Amino acid sequence: MPLVITRTVALLALSFAMGAFALRWRAAQRRPLAAEPFLPRNGIRRAAPGGAAADRAPAKGSPQRGLLYAFTLGMAPWAKESTRLHQLAYLRGIVFHGGIFTALAALLLSPIWSLLPKLLLYALAGAAAIGALCGVLGALARWFEPNLRALSTPDDFASVLLVALFQGLTGIALLNPAWLPALYLSAALMLVYAPLGKIRHCIYFFFSRRFFGLFLGRRGLVQTEAGP
Amino acid sequence: MSAATETALQVLERQLNGPLLAALEVCARCAICAETCHYYRAEPAAEHIPAARGEALRRVYRAEHDWLSRLFPAWTGAERLTDDTLASLAEMAFSRCTLCRRCTFNCPMGVDTPLLMRTVRAMATAGGMAPEMLVMLADAAIEKGKDPSFFRDMFVSQIPDLEKELQASTGDRTARITVGREGAKVLYVALAGVHTIVPPAIIFQAAGEDWTLSIYEASNYGVFLGDVERAKQIAARIINEAKALRVQELVLAECGHAYAALRWEAPNWFGETFPFKVTSLVEKMDQYLAEGRLRLDPSANPQTITYHDSCNMARSGGVIEEPRRLLRAITRDFVEMTPNRLEAYCCGGGGGLVALPEYEETRLKAGSPKADQIRRSGAEVVVAACENCRLQIGDLNHHYGLGVEVSALADLVVKAMRLPSTPAEAEKLFASAKSMEPAPSRDLPAIGGEPRLPLHPPD
Repeated sequence: MPLVITRTVALLALSFAMGAFALRWRAAQRRPLAAEPFLPRNGIRRAAPGGAAADRAPAKGSPQRGLLYAFTLGMAPWAKESTRLHQLAYLRGIVFHGGIFTALAALLLSPIWSLLPKLLLYALAGAAAIGALCGVLGALARWFEPNLRALSTPDDFASVLLVALFQGLTGIALLNPAWLPALYLSAALMLVYAPLGKIRHCIYFFFSRRFFGLFLGRRGLVQTEAGP
Repeated sequence: MSAATETALQVLERQLNGPLLAALEVCARCAICAETCHYYRAEPAAEHIPAARGEALRRVYRAEHDWLSRLFPAWTGAERLTDDTLASLAEMAFSRCTLCRRCTFNCPMGVDTPLLMRTVRAMATAGGMAPEMLVMLADAAIEKGKDPSFFRDMFVSQIPDLEKELQASTGDRTARITVGREGAKVLYVALAGVHTIVPPAIIFQAAGEDWTLSIYEASNYGVFLGDVERAKQIAARIINEAKALRVQELVLAECGHAYAALRWEAPNWFGETFPFKVTSLVEKMDQYLAEGRLRLDPSANPQTITYHDSCNMARSGGVIEEPRRLLRAITRDFVEMTPNRLEAYCCGGGGGLVALPEYEETRLKAGSPKADQIRRSGAEVVVAACENCRLQIGDLNHHYGLGVEVSALADLVVKAMRLPSTPAEAEKLFASAKSMEPAPSRDLPAIGGEPRLPLHPPD
């Protein structure tokens, strides 16, 4: 298929994904933001103007500090018992997600690949390929590990394999531009599916970590010494 | 669709705020939360993975909110809510999750699975599928609050006996326990039974506090039901009492869920910041210690003591270092359990499980990680700043043969206080305390309330 057509398809899919994600983001933002589970029965409390959390309980600590922690040190592999216990799985996930962002950046830069230094292209290809490998390993783990298998749906497998395919083709196309049409088609497939299936968790990550960070910060839990 | 499922789905819609939406959408089903749950630690089965519990509600949510799931339910595991699935969800949320938040703190995404379980509890309660005991206790508290006169008289009639105990302990013959005294600085809200009244009274007296006793209980069964309307009605009695008495501070007994509810959640239920401070007795004692208002003798508690972090006090409440400062002041042999603080294991009795005899076997099994922790600590005394935790650890002690004592923090603080040992010392203390004693009054506010009944189940 000619490059211009596949590139157009990818662009349309990108527009669809961005539009759909924007709608989801807006809908999520319109939900009340107070990080408390209960709501009055007489209606849903709306978020304060500007999106400020409407938490009426006097804070014990700094919400900003909690937010900073939630998006930085709180994500460190040593910060949680779960990630200390599952170091390999966690690192595989980190590398996989790093590969996604690398592949997306490479996709956006694809019209000007010829202008970029070879070394950069090789680095992008390596990161995307390692990401793809981690994705495939993740899918295999999901299939063979009983706990993961019990939790999984076809959507889980489809999502990770679509992304891994996109990453893999990004790596190949970076080394051999003849594969660009295949990359664009795989990107289009992934981008159309992203807001509909499990991949959409990517935008809710920011909301979830934000609420968690506010919770930690307001309740004065960030500075607390953990562990034995 | 039955009326029960329809009502349950309405509750889901009504509670679908930002945090709940995020918790429903963000889980990647990576399962690294498995070992963080005490149920999974006690019995490693897929159904005990926190993500699996969350997934049970997500299936229902997807069937209602996700068009891909409506078209191809098998693709995403979507499932319409039926009476059977609601019953299954209710059984899971009330018996296999103590809402301890340990999974949330360990999730790379920060998925708030306890929030999902509280939502399920709310749905089940609205659909008439909540445990009868919790519903009965919550409704009894609300009903009593509507006409408290009989119980109020009975409650007040018990106070003179408590005052005698207070006077004997402090050596202060003028020491009083006033009930509902307007203008006092501190309103103390106890739990069922005098064990949460006398030790704090001794501490308040020793610290020279201007305090009065609430006629209500701190515990709130509406919280365990996930039912905000019931929780509000129960909490409103205390809040209205504190407002009517114009106190500056509401001090709650050592009770985890009452603290988390009144300190952190109630202001959002009522949409207001209260005109008084809400603190735990633990924080108050720590304040007295810092201000030098308590004379404590660390040699008074010679046993090896460890501290159990109540999930509601620590992970949900932020009260973590305060009890440790107190413990270091009342004993020379304080040891930590491993892990502790934010990583502490739930005792297995939270979320109202202690009040549900039908789940006793599950509860004791789920408490095995905590029992192991206690045993490994080598402690002879386990302190917990939560009545539920103390009851559960007491049961674990018996079930697993731990051979420990279980104590509230206030009890050990009183034990470590330098109280009069001779009549002469008592007279001296009496003279100094007399100058601090506020004028007693037994007037009660004209509001509804639940009395403290001797046989009332603990929180």
